[in-house]
Amino acid sequence: MTDAPALAVEDIVAGYGGVPVLDGVSITARPGTITAVLGANGAGKTTLLRTISGFVRPRRGKVLVGGTDLARRRPEDIARAGVAHVPEGQGVITELTVEENLRLGALVTRDRARRAAALDDAYRRFPVLAERKRRAAATLSGGERQILVIARALMSAPRVLLLDEPSLGLAPRVIAQVMDLIRQLRDEAGLTVLLVEQNARSALGIADTGLVLNLGRVVAESDAATLAADVGLRRHYLGF
Amino acid sequence: MQEFLEFTFGGIAVGMIYAAIALSLVLIWRGTRVLNYSQGGMAMFTTYIAWVVIRHTGNYWLGFVVALAAGLVLGAVLERTVVRPTEGKGPLNSVIVTIGLLILIEGVAGIIFGGQYRSFPAAFSVTGLKIGNVALGISPTDVFTAVAVLAAAGLLALVFRYTAVGLRLRATAFSQSVARLLGVRIGRVLTLGWALAGLFGALAGVLVTPNTFLYPNSMDAIFVLGFTAAVIGGLDSPVGAVVGGVLLGVVLSYAGGYLGSELVLVYGLVVLALVLMIRPEGLFSSATARRV
Repeated sequence: MTDAPALAVEDIVAGYGGVPVLDGVSITARPGTITAVLGANGAGKTTLLRTISGFVRPRRGKVLVGGTDLARRRPEDIARAGVAHVPEGQGVITELTVEENLRLGALVTRDRARRAAALDDAYRRFPVLAERKRRAAATLSGGERQILVIARALMSAPRVLLLDEPSLGLAPRVIAQVMDLIRQLRDEAGLTVLLVEQNARSALGIADTGLVLNLGRVVAESDAATLAADVGLRRHYLGF
Repeated sequence: MQEFLEFTFGGIAVGMIYAAIALSLVLIWRGTRVLNYSQGGMAMFTTYIAWVVIRHTGNYWLGFVVALAAGLVLGAVLERTVVRPTEGKGPLNSVIVTIGLLILIEGVAGIIFGGQYRSFPAAFSVTGLKIGNVALGISPTDVFTAVAVLAAAGLLALVFRYTAVGLRLRATAFSQSVARLLGVRIGRVLTLGWALAGLFGALAGVLVTPNTFLYPNSMDAIFVLGFTAAVIGGLDSPVGAVVGGVLLGVVLSYAGGYLGSELVLVYGLVVLALVLMIRPEGLFSSATARRV
């Protein structure tokens, strides 16, 4: 475990108005690991992801991906540098077909052959999307949409995958499937994942490490098993 | 019967021009939610460029192509320089900027080309076509107008549907933030949208001006009707723009033919009011679908 971090957030201060939502947050994610980001509503979890992907401009701090500082770059450039962000509430473009959503995810790749290969891979991994590829994405169920946005994020062969509440609004059985999928992506593709979740139990079930945000600061940081076993932490911040 | 035929075909031909203007408005509205009030002025200006080229070379088609190219460039340049700074600043800013642009373009055209009415040549003969003894109410030029707009719209549809650029354009129209998340450089996409709008506007200008004469305000009325067509079609649907244009053209042709042509602009507003009363979102808008 001496690898350089795939993603390092250093001392980020960011927010929307006067009061910072993130107040000096630092995170290190090693390549091929899942890092769970936990905490209550308003802790700054979504703002953290939006800062990493460039939609929120940090006032201070660095976002290092593969050693390059991407802080204060534009979202589209950060995406092109290998950071795929799956926003909360999914972000399927419902007016496009399933296949068009997927193709859109691969457009950062210049090579046509690689784009086609990525599409084949997606259909092999997610047969449910292959069955519905000509349908408008609006016709998919919530679980299918979640699979579609994750599949779409993978189309660009990202180094880092940011997932914002992938379990939101899904049935427990579907949540388990989505968590399984995230674990597979780490194990098989060696993807580095930052997983923001309200559902702490599910997230810690698959994560390697975890951290707890509260009012814009990291209040706990450890390996996932230790966090899950910490009764005081669970009662105070995680609610299970 | 003969009259009806003439009014129908004549209406379709004029409607195609409204459709081209409507398409140019839709292309910009979809990407940026900006209504480009200077579209008519831009079209007038590129038509003047065609007029200059035709006068100096005597070659109509050279003027035609130069006008389209000028439309592309003008659209892109205006987006980059004048419109871009209004982005994300509230809708009123872009309204004022594009209206200001219209006044500026018409003023500059007056300074450079003068205010007098100039005749502008048509692509082909303007003598009415006949089948046997039956006059169709349209000329070879009208047929060319319809074919040219349909071909351009068809080409646009193919680009939208089958190319990577088209996918970027559509994705940006539906959700800018998702497009950016996926690495779409939306700045370039928006510039391209304005360039394409400039192209369609230029096409409309060259096609309509043989009927109206060329002067700095020559596109104002056409713009109003093209705008009406775009709203009828739902303002964010390219198909709606073409259908709205033809519908408006035919209805106004009947109204002008049977009721008298003095009030054509008023009839246009009546059609607009009726459509907005029955279907406020327009005929082809995806707005309702998205509100769900």
